[in-house]
Amino acid sequence: MNSFLERVIMEPFDRFIERLLEFLPDIMTAILVLAAGIVLGFILKSLFLRFFHAIKIDRLSERSGAIEMMKRGGVKEPVSAILARMIGWVTVFGFLILSLRSLNIPAVEQILERFILYLPNVFVAGVIVFFGYFLSNFLGRAALIAAVNAGFKVSGLIGRLVKLTIFFLALTMALEQLGVGKETIIIAFAIVFGGVIFSLSLAFGLGGRDIAKEFLEKKMKGDDRKDDINHL
Amino acid sequence: MESIIARKEIQDSIEKIREADILVGIPSYNNAGTIGHVVRAVQTGLAKYFPDMKSVLVNSDGGSNDGTMEVVQNTAVDDFQSILFTHRVSPFFKIATPYHGIPGKGSAFRTIFEIARALGSKACAVLDSDLRSITPEWIELLIKPVIESDFDYVAPLYHRHKYDGTITNSIVYPLTRALYGKRIRQPIGGDFGFSGRLAEFFLSKDVWETDVARYGIDIWMTTTAVANNFKVCQSFLGAKIHDPKDPGADLSAMLFQVVGSTFDLMEAYAEAWKTVEGSQDIPAFGFQYAVGLDPVSVNLERMIDKFSLGIRELSDMWSTFIPQDIIRFLQNTEDLRKSEFHIPDEIWVDIIYSFALAAHEKVLNKEHLLKSLTPLYIGKVASFVTENWECSADEVEEKINRLCITFEKKKKLLIERWS
Repeated sequence: MNSFLERVIMEPFDRFIERLLEFLPDIMTAILVLAAGIVLGFILKSLFLRFFHAIKIDRLSERSGAIEMMKRGGVKEPVSAILARMIGWVTVFGFLILSLRSLNIPAVEQILERFILYLPNVFVAGVIVFFGYFLSNFLGRAALIAAVNAGFKVSGLIGRLVKLTIFFLALTMALEQLGVGKETIIIAFAIVFGGVIFSLSLAFGLGGRDIAKEFLEKKMKGDDRKDDINHL
Repeated sequence: MESIIARKEIQDSIEKIREADILVGIPSYNNAGTIGHVVRAVQTGLAKYFPDMKSVLVNSDGGSNDGTMEVVQNTAVDDFQSILFTHRVSPFFKIATPYHGIPGKGSAFRTIFEIARALGSKACAVLDSDLRSITPEWIELLIKPVIESDFDYVAPLYHRHKYDGTITNSIVYPLTRALYGKRIRQPIGGDFGFSGRLAEFFLSKDVWETDVARYGIDIWMTTTAVANNFKVCQSFLGAKIHDPKDPGADLSAMLFQVVGSTFDLMEAYAEAWKTVEGSQDIPAFGFQYAVGLDPVSVNLERMIDKFSLGIRELSDMWSTFIPQDIIRFLQNTEDLRKSEFHIPDEIWVDIIYSFALAAHEKVLNKEHLLKSLTPLYIGKVASFVTENWECSADEVEEKINRLCITFEKKKKLLIERWS
C-alpha cells in the first residue's frame, strides 16, 4: 500500500517539485525582466513627455492638421501624451517578449517567433492605414473645394466619394499586407468600386439623360449667362 | 533658374545696344491681335516725350504660337510726321525673346528686369500686351515721375467700370492700404513704372519659383516698393480697356495666387506693417477726366447660388478658423432674397483677417485654404453689385473708401491675434 502511494502520489509530486525548482529561476527572471520593463517604460514615458513638451510637438501637430484629424476620430488627448504613452507601452511590450522567451518553453518560443515575424506586416499595415487616412482627408477636401468652386450641386457627395474611395483603397492594401482574405478583399474592392462607377455612369446616362445633355451642351457651347466681370 | 542674360542671342543684343536710358517691357502670350497697338503706342510715346533718350522695348514672351514675337519685330510707326512735330534723335531698339522658368507674368518680368540691369536703364515701365486703350501719354506718365521727380515706383490709376477689378476693390487695395498705410488705388493694375535701382532690388529677391512668378507679381512689386520705403506715386492713365480674359476661367487659381502672395508678403514684412497706423495719400500725376466705359453684364443669381453652395458645403471647414458668429451670419444669408443679399464691411473684414491669420498659423493646407475663399469672395461681389446697382462711380468709390477704413480700424485686432 505504501509503495503504491509512493509510486502514484509521492513520486510525481517529487518530480513536480523538482521541475518547479528547476523552472523557478526562469519564472523569477521573467518576472524581474517584466518588472524592469514596466519601470523602464514608465521612466521613458515621463522623459519623452518632457522632451515632446520641450520641442512643442503639440503646436507642430496642430499646424500639420493631425489634431483636427484626431479630434474627428474622437481622440482628445494631446499628441505628446499619446506618443509618450506609446513609447512606454512599446518598451513594456518589448520586455514582455523578452520575459516570455526567458521562460525557455518551446511552445511559447514557437508562438513568439511566429508573432515576431508577423509584426512587420502589422506595422506596414498600420502605416498604410495612417497615410491612407491622411491622404483620403486631403484629397477629399481638395475635391470638395474644387467641386464647390465649379458650382456642382453634389459637391459634398463628390468630396465624400473621393475620401471614401481612397480610404477604402488604403484599407484594402493594409488587409492585403496582413494576408487577411487577400484575394477576397481585392475582388470585393474591384466589384464595389467598379459597381459604383458603373451605377453612376448608368444613372447619369439613363436617369439623368436630360441633365447630361444640358451639362454637355453647356460645356460645349458655353454658358451664355456668364459674367463679364474682370476680377483683377 | 538660368539667367536670360546668359543666352547668346540676348548677349548679342545687349552688346549691340550696350546701354539704354529707358526700357519698356511687355510680357505676352498669344497676343498677336493686340500687341502691335501697344508697341506702336510705346514707340510713339518714347519718340514724343523722350526723343533724346536711348530706349529699348523688350517683349518677354511665354512661348506664343500665334506669331506674337514676329508682330513685335515687324511693328513700326512708319509715319512719325503725322503724329509728331519733331523727329526722334536717339535710336530705338527692340528685343523680343521667350522667357524661361515657371510659365507666368512674373517670369516674364524677371527677364525684363535682368535686361534692364544689363543695360543700366534709369527708368523702366511694364505694360500689358492686351491693352486696347493705351496711348503714347501712358509712357510719359509712367516714366517721367522716375526721370524728373526721382520716384522709384509709379503705380497706375485708371477709371474702371464699377464692377471691374473686384479682387482689387474688395481685398487687395483695402488690405494693402491698411497694412502699409499708402493709398495705392491699383496695386495690381498691371502697368507700372519703376527706377533701375528698384529693378535691381527686385532681382535681389529669391521669389522666382513661387506664385510671384505667376499672377502674384503685381502685388509683390507694389508691396516690395512700399515696405522697403522706396519713393512711390501713381499716375492717372485714363480708362483701362483690354481684351477680355477667359471669363472666370479659373477664378480660384487667380484668387489663390494673388491673395496667397499678399499673405506671404504679410509674413515677410510683418515688422513693417505692424507699426503702421491709418493711411495716407501718395502723390498723383496726370490730368483726371471722366471716361465712358462699356457696360459689364453680371449674373447675380449664379453668384448667390455659388455662395450658398459654399456655405452649405464648406462651413464646417471654415469654422476651424472663422469666428462662430460670422459663420452663423453667413448661414443666415442663405434665406435672404436676391435684392436683400448683403455682406456688411465688418463681416467681410473679419473674414479676410481670419483667412490671413489661418494662413499665418498654417491651420490648413495653403491651397485648400485660399481656394475655399472663392465662394465667399463671389458672395462679396454679389453683395457689392446689389448695393451699388443704382450708384454712380463716385458713390462706389466712396463705399470702397469706407471698406478701407473698416480694414484700418480692425487692424489692431489682426495685430493682436497675429502674435
